[in-house]
Amino acid sequence: MYDAIIDIRRLTVDLGGNPVLRGMDLRVSPGEIVAVVGQNGSGKSTLLRCVAGLHPGTSGEIRVFGEPRSDDARFWGRVGLLLDEPAWYPALTVREHLELMAAVHSSTRMTVDAALEEFALVERADAVPLNLSTGQRQRLSLAAALLRPSALLLLDEPERGLDAAFRARLADLLDAYAKEGGTVVMATHDPGLTARNRQVSPTGVAA
Amino acid sequence: MTQVRDVRAYLRSRTHGPASAIDRYVTVFGLAMLAAVAGRPISGVLAALDAPVDPVRMGAGLALLAVAFTGFLAAARAAGPVLMSPADAAWLLLSPLDRRKLLGRSALVIGLVALVAGLLLGVGLLGVLGAPDQLVWRVLAALVLGVSATVGGAALAVLGQSSPAWQIWLSGAMAALLVLAVVAVSGRLRTVPAVAAHAPLAAVTAAVAGAVAVSWLLARRAWASLDRIPARDLVASSARAGYAADATVGLDLSTFTWIAEDNHWRSRTLVSRRRPGVAAPLAPAWADWLRVIRRPGRLAVVAATAPLPAVLVQAGGSPTASAVAVLGGALAVAATAVSGARRDAGNPALARLLGLGLRPALAARAVLPAVLGGVWATAALLMLPVDGTWWLFGPLAAPALAAGALRMARRRPVDHSLPVLETGGGAIPVGPLLWAGTGVDLALLGCLPAFAALTTPDAAPGSYLLAQAVTGVAVLLGYLWRARTSRS
Repeated sequence: MYDAIIDIRRLTVDLGGNPVLRGMDLRVSPGEIVAVVGQNGSGKSTLLRCVAGLHPGTSGEIRVFGEPRSDDARFWGRVGLLLDEPAWYPALTVREHLELMAAVHSSTRMTVDAALEEFALVERADAVPLNLSTGQRQRLSLAAALLRPSALLLLDEPERGLDAAFRARLADLLDAYAKEGGTVVMATHDPGLTARNRQVSPTGVAA
Repeated sequence: MTQVRDVRAYLRSRTHGPASAIDRYVTVFGLAMLAAVAGRPISGVLAALDAPVDPVRMGAGLALLAVAFTGFLAAARAAGPVLMSPADAAWLLLSPLDRRKLLGRSALVIGLVALVAGLLLGVGLLGVLGAPDQLVWRVLAALVLGVSATVGGAALAVLGQSSPAWQIWLSGAMAALLVLAVVAVSGRLRTVPAVAAHAPLAAVTAAVAGAVAVSWLLARRAWASLDRIPARDLVASSARAGYAADATVGLDLSTFTWIAEDNHWRSRTLVSRRRPGVAAPLAPAWADWLRVIRRPGRLAVVAATAPLPAVLVQAGGSPTASAVAVLGGALAVAATAVSGARRDAGNPALARLLGLGLRPALAARAVLPAVLGGVWATAALLMLPVDGTWWLFGPLAAPALAAGALRMARRRPVDHSLPVLETGGGAIPVGPLLWAGTGVDLALLGCLPAFAALTTPDAAPGSYLLAQAVTGVAVLLGYLWRARTSRS
């Protein structure tokens, strides 16, 4: 068993010879929502990539679920990751993308219909994603991330492209996810999302 | 747990209908056309197998095969080689699905590509060594050897994707092949290919069995390593695959250049250099020089390719083939130094911001491709087995090569609205044809005297040199003058 979902010690990351993270420590408990804040280029996205194992740290230690990251089916069964906008299958509709997510995972947190409802995509369910607005595509990405079962959600600027009303709705959805025992670590610039959660800064200085 | 095949079946049911009779007809017709086109040169090779092969040609031919095989390995490494579509990477990779099964389809494609490349390598090997006796068995042995080599090489590239230690083995294999090419063309081991060509069947069988065994072992290890390929590498290679697919679907091959360049510079740490005190039009061109200076490795590779036309001649290539190799190679070299013009044509915002006139800026940008193309052509001509002043065609063709490279860099994307011409030999899409010919046309026009002289090497080069000096400069000046109103 583990006390911290994420336990980062003395993490240092260089990108192209430039230090992005320097000796960062971070512990995230189960059921916690952490907002990673900071200026552009301060290493927020890099931190998320390191936790997901998509970027190797230069030095330091990262433990997820009490053990070093494993990059295998078991790990990705428990970790939901939303970084940039995902690539879409050109011939699949909004509903079919969510059905695909349900097909990949043996169980889901909610039905596809419920996800379409929650993320206000019912009217666009039969559209292909490339015909949606930027904000609608972001809602679809978030719906896919929250539809699948996971114990840890890593989100990079989940508020990107969303209108003010849906940003508030997103904060509620993430609270509900955390109440079910899920943990969220998100890089964000949104004051609403940062105000109600623990804030950490990769540079050690709150933005 | 959800099975990969269930997910694939779901995707197939949503994206593709069942193959119709027309689909099957198009596939079979395409394969038949390919066989008809490739059949003639292959049957030509097979018909000439029992003729005695000159040992000098054998060495040069082996060198070309070694370089081609190195190119295959380099391409496999650059491509990934294991990759998935960006959508698969986004929706299926970072999931609880079995990664080896997920990547099985990519592994199958790699296997098929290696099979085709191996058959071609085998045919090439037959062309080089010949088959003085036991024709069927020697043909079979060469094809199996070729396929074993490419399958083993592709497996090595896959293993390299999952482990840095295997990357070292792959690099070592490529270096060894290049050394083999140099040794083969130098003629030091002239007896080895001759002995190999006349080896008894027992020895040939033993060599083939060994190659198959090594290849099988490597392929098995590569298959087992599929689930150890890091997700980050697959995500990166899937992004490349996506761009490549876009470029292929749109038939806009210049996109590949942009991708390769962006990827290269994104991963580099640079130190700002002070700009030399040059006049305004030359200042943006300095960026091209800086790019070349900052890629000494590529410059070394370009320099190392200069002997290839001479090797081609040694391997029995015709004067036309050697002329195409010299001038085509020089144009390719010149085209490596026109990134600035390509950028400005694709996105003129920076050029507008700089406020420079198009003609002076283009003239300044022509200097570097002229120097590189001219020097390469001169070096290639000096290595050809001809005496006298033939090397002068190199510097004299330089302005035309620069004009061709600039026109190539500044051409518009493929115009798919142009019609497809139905001819007796099949359909010809005019858009891609015009795109492919843009730049090459100008270089050919400007290098016509050099081309004519190189294809008739018995002629005295004096008048051709004079004509080349005039046409080279005229074509470049004409291009710069026309560039005021035309983008390409």
